[in-house]
Amino acid sequence: MIELKDDTLAFTFPETTIPGARLVISFMRTLRVPDDGKSYPLPPGLGKFPLEHVDDYRQRLPHSWIDHGGVMLPLYQSEALWINFTSSYIEEHEACYPFAVKIAAGKINAVTGEPWSDGLSRDPQDYMVVPGQPWLDGYSVDKECIRQFVAMPLGKGYSAEGQITGREDVGGMQIVVYPMKKEAFEKRWSRKAAVVSKCVTRFCMIDNDMGLAAGGRIHQEIYEDRFELSEWDMTASSRCFVHLANSQTWRDITGNTPPTKAPSAREYSSHGLPWFEYYSDQKPLPGSNVLHKLKSVIQRGKEKRENPLPENDSVEPEHIIAINRPQSPERVREWPEQNRYERTSGPGGPGDD
Amino acid sequence: MNAPFGSYIRKKREALKEQDGRYSLRQVAARVGIEPSYLSKIERGLPAPLSEEKVRALSLDLGESPDVLLALSGKISSDVQEIIRTRPELFADLIRQLKEMPDHAVLRLVREVRDGNW
Repeated sequence: MIELKDDTLAFTFPETTIPGARLVISFMRTLRVPDDGKSYPLPPGLGKFPLEHVDDYRQRLPHSWIDHGGVMLPLYQSEALWINFTSSYIEEHEACYPFAVKIAAGKINAVTGEPWSDGLSRDPQDYMVVPGQPWLDGYSVDKECIRQFVAMPLGKGYSAEGQITGREDVGGMQIVVYPMKKEAFEKRWSRKAAVVSKCVTRFCMIDNDMGLAAGGRIHQEIYEDRFELSEWDMTASSRCFVHLANSQTWRDITGNTPPTKAPSAREYSSHGLPWFEYYSDQKPLPGSNVLHKLKSVIQRGKEKRENPLPENDSVEPEHIIAINRPQSPERVREWPEQNRYERTSGPGGPGDD
Repeated sequence: MNAPFGSYIRKKREALKEQDGRYSLRQVAARVGIEPSYLSKIERGLPAPLSEEKVRALSLDLGESPDVLLALSGKISSDVQEIIRTRPELFADLIRQLKEMPDHAVLRLVREVRDGNW
């Protein structure tokens, strides 16, 4: 089951996993990195996007959104986001419960560039493993490099969906989560001695439907699955469609004010605020040949003789914080402490293996 | 403050401290906004009341669920209290009826995100 709580999606499988096993996914606001050919460090988190059930606004949303079900969040055109993954730490086993997570935008897999399919594939690997993969910032275009998720209106030919399929009629993001089989988890991490028990009319939104396109390059690795494929429980998946609503219509739909626009990379860096690098000894995937051919929004705009994005000057990030263990408390992409410039994957404690 | 709460906090904090020195008694107390000696009393189960706000700050710092820590400290979250106060008989009756239900059955009552056709 999936529960929406505090602007996060909590995936649980109470009948097939052990008590406490939970994967939490949130969508983080961030700045858009310049699309200038350089590979940038990880940008900060500027707080979570608000999430709402589509069913709560049925009368103000198009039929297709209701048919898809799921949740929605507000995005400005050209705004970027990243996805934060946290799996719960099971004290009795001294390990975080593993989950396989498949992410798509416009039903194009963000790791492989292939059209959406159910199940998990190993060749090529079309999913990520949490813990191990703390964040996803964009499309996996090369080994150790992604192109940032950037929101663009559907129907203009900028989205990855449009470039790969020739159609832009899905939009949004799609998520499916598979838990590790209970027996596999218990075999790998045997139970330890107990530590601590534990209004707009219908259809008017269609023109504002958003998809995700490829933005600037960021240094980020997608890691190879270190478990056996047979250890994942393919019989117990949970899926969620995440609709991307244009922020300008968010207030009309929900009555709530959307978050303010993120600062530009230059504005952010000029205040000496930090960027982040994540280091891990896990083996990275090679990157997708399909996604490698994706044209970024800027490249696509030049082809179309359009200027689809606001100015976003190159920057030289000088203040870079290295993070090498996202499942420990120091994983926070945060500066200064206790403000909102953060990269965190939530509580975990020791043992992401 | 009761002993199970204090013991739980101490074990959690010490486990985190093994990974990160910022989880010393002194630094956690500073981030939560209480004196180290007060946190020490709490961890030892000595009488030391802690407000809901401080329990929430502690849960945030230790990466724990605020509902769990509030329950261990003998409190009920103020928003939950408010919900019960609006319809006391109904919710009291509901909670009594849910008492014997297994976790997965209770979880079904929590509102799920609906999956559709896509």
